[in-house]
Amino acid sequence: MNDNEKLVPVKDESGFRFISNDAIDSERIIAPRYSYWRSVFRVFFRKKTNTILLILLVLMLVSSFVVPIFAPYDYKENVTEATMFNLSPAKAMEKTGGFSFKYLLGTGSLGNSILYGIFSSAKTSITLAVICAAINMTVGILIGAVWGYSKKFDQVMLVIYQIIANVPYILLISVLVYIIGSGFSSFVFALTITGWLGIAYFFRTQVMIIRDRDYSLASKCLGTPITRVVSKNILPFMISVISTLLATELPSYISMEVFLSFIGVGLSAEVPSLGRMIQQGQMAFRTFPWEFWPPVFVSAFITIILYMLGQNLADASDPRTHM
Amino acid sequence: MKKYMLKRILFSLFSLLVVVMVVMLLVYNLTDRKVIFQTDDTWNKRNENEKIYYEYTMYQKYGYLTFVNFSDYLGRTYRAELGDEYTKDPDFIADGKIIQKADEYLSNPRVQQFKEEYEKEGYTIRYLSPVTFKNGRQKPGGRAYLLAVKEKNPLLRMVDYMKNLFTVETKNQVQDENLTERFIRFEKDPYNGLFCIRGSGTLHKYLLYFDGRFPFIHQNFIHLNLGTSFTAYRGQEITKVITTPVGTPYSSMQEYPSLVGTGRLEETAVDFHTLRYNPSELTDFDKERFPDRYTVGDYRIKALSMIENSFVIGIIATIISYLLGLPIGILMARHKDKLIDKIGNAYIIFIMAVPSLAYIFIFAAIGTTVFKLPYKFATATVPILAYILPTISLALPHIASLMKWMRRYMIDQMNSDYVKFARSQGLSEREIFGTHISKNAMIYLVHGIPASILGCLTGAIITERVYAVPGVGNLLTNAINAHDNGVIIACTVFYTTLSILAIILGDLLLAKYDPRISLNKDKGGGR
Repeated sequence: MNDNEKLVPVKDESGFRFISNDAIDSERIIAPRYSYWRSVFRVFFRKKTNTILLILLVLMLVSSFVVPIFAPYDYKENVTEATMFNLSPAKAMEKTGGFSFKYLLGTGSLGNSILYGIFSSAKTSITLAVICAAINMTVGILIGAVWGYSKKFDQVMLVIYQIIANVPYILLISVLVYIIGSGFSSFVFALTITGWLGIAYFFRTQVMIIRDRDYSLASKCLGTPITRVVSKNILPFMISVISTLLATELPSYISMEVFLSFIGVGLSAEVPSLGRMIQQGQMAFRTFPWEFWPPVFVSAFITIILYMLGQNLADASDPRTHM
Repeated sequence: MKKYMLKRILFSLFSLLVVVMVVMLLVYNLTDRKVIFQTDDTWNKRNENEKIYYEYTMYQKYGYLTFVNFSDYLGRTYRAELGDEYTKDPDFIADGKIIQKADEYLSNPRVQQFKEEYEKEGYTIRYLSPVTFKNGRQKPGGRAYLLAVKEKNPLLRMVDYMKNLFTVETKNQVQDENLTERFIRFEKDPYNGLFCIRGSGTLHKYLLYFDGRFPFIHQNFIHLNLGTSFTAYRGQEITKVITTPVGTPYSSMQEYPSLVGTGRLEETAVDFHTLRYNPSELTDFDKERFPDRYTVGDYRIKALSMIENSFVIGIIATIISYLLGLPIGILMARHKDKLIDKIGNAYIIFIMAVPSLAYIFIFAAIGTTVFKLPYKFATATVPILAYILPTISLALPHIASLMKWMRRYMIDQMNSDYVKFARSQGLSEREIFGTHISKNAMIYLVHGIPASILGCLTGAIITERVYAVPGVGNLLTNAINAHDNGVIIACTVFYTTLSILAIILGDLLLAKYDPRISLNKDKGGGR
């Protein structure tokens, strides 16, 4: 029987009827509609903790970016009044006449409000983390992708990596901060000038693993252009790697700022930062615990939320969990 | 393999050189050199030309430049011409005073000679003209100076540094005509009966000896000189600073070298194994007790040096971390998604996400209040207890990272064919996890073992600061704050060497542990 010949529907007494065999229609493959990102978010929100974490993140962002507008922090506002120094919450409120939101956590070593300081510092820390992570991740991933793909570039970059990775970064940052000043933007510059290198190196290894997988080799044999191999074969695999990186990178800058301020090469005194508050509080953390523990817990709180959200996003972005 | 290692080592040396070069450029050329006077009282007290002259002497000491003072030059040339009596020569006195006259000094033949000679060598001549009040009287510190100054070439600075990195002791080191014999030979150690290598004409008396102090074998053949500290440990060699015990010397009854065997004991704190050559005149006391001129020695101190403190804390923390972290990681993988896995994960998240400063303080607060452990190192009544909290706070993050990776690699291995095969053969879960999977999972972790052991030598910055441990961890940060260029360079060389060594050793260990891995480029599945 000829395939192209249309079958004429014939009425049958048993109730059956012929359906024409549409050759073009039969070639069409019907698959359920699949959107990668929709599945990612479906899996992501399946976990109840993620919703809670997101709410906490929004709360944190709002409080650290909106509250300082209404509660401006000035670390020198009581600097001339020695009686305001190092007051516990109860004493500070007693002194300023009744309950005040401002002195809910007492005052610091210069009579500064700890609570206002924390809101402003959290803003600095989050901004710093986001900017540094954005710069370092973008540069690191782009260079890392080329580094992993090109063998010639690999040889050159390995030499550079071995050299730069061995220059003590504390020294590098302190010299840079010394040369260009210790303001916010120069601190960002110091953290990003070599910060991308570690990310690029990590990414290079990941790209290399996928690059030599059989299906990539097959694509190459079939003559697929490099751009298509990178964008279709390699990058989709990298999304979960990137979110894992993001989960560790974002909190790491907050930790880094705290650490560098602690050893004395951090931001300048004009910029409120969690690291500086912790560094100032640690000198007398037994006598004036209200100066030390609040910034410690706030920095821990921010980093844990960012870390867990990033990790869970990484889990959700792995297509194998979408079943 | 040999060729590969040689290439690797040569390349490592090259990168070490470049790192040192970069750091030298950072500290000497990119940082304003005036910062070294920030806390210098002498500098504050000096005025006018004396201040500038003082700056030059300090810059020379810190290794920024070299300079020659005209009066020193004058002294040298006159001594060459007239012998030791030159100071009384009227010409010498007149020539010395000429530079105080700003309008005449250039016509002096000695000054012209000085200028010519040093300008040929690339020096620039700097004249600090006398500073006077309006009435013609000299201001305090206003004396004139004539200097020839030459900035140090960065490349030359590095070559100099590298040249002085190692010094070898030879039997011709000591310059002394009265020294009758020069030798280096094996001898019986008079103090413990073991053998030793003794030298005469060398700087140290004993070049190799054994004693009860860590690391038990001591040598004086090769000395490593990482550089000299300028501010933090004024004028001392950094290698000495970090390896000399800090504490009060203790004396005991000992026999002096001349009196060994006589049974005459005297109280002294000197360790006779560390005797060095004494170039100055010997006292009668020394003549009676020493057979030779090797009379200066270090004191015995019952304490640990900076590097030992850091190493003890670090190595115990590392051992604890491996003993705890690996089994817990295995357990977590075996009971995936059960309670133990969840608790372990919570711990990992806590350590990974919370700033290290925060959790070190949290554990310090718990340790000091709940367990009544000593907080600051120096104030501990029982010294050994002071090591507990620093060790724990160092082990905490290490345990977490080992747990994390061990769990991850174990889970990755769990679906392998060899595990299914082992299970089908009826092996117990304990055996499968304990020996088969963990052995394969360890492949990824073996590489980091040398790094974590060698890393103990560099100390820990935060932990040592929080507990005020007298260790090496804060050497670099303190040096940066004090602008102690010598220590910064020394730390860089030290850290870089350790990290390069750690990677090479890690690769070797990995190749040894897993025979499938070959470091040879032609073999194995290298990409």
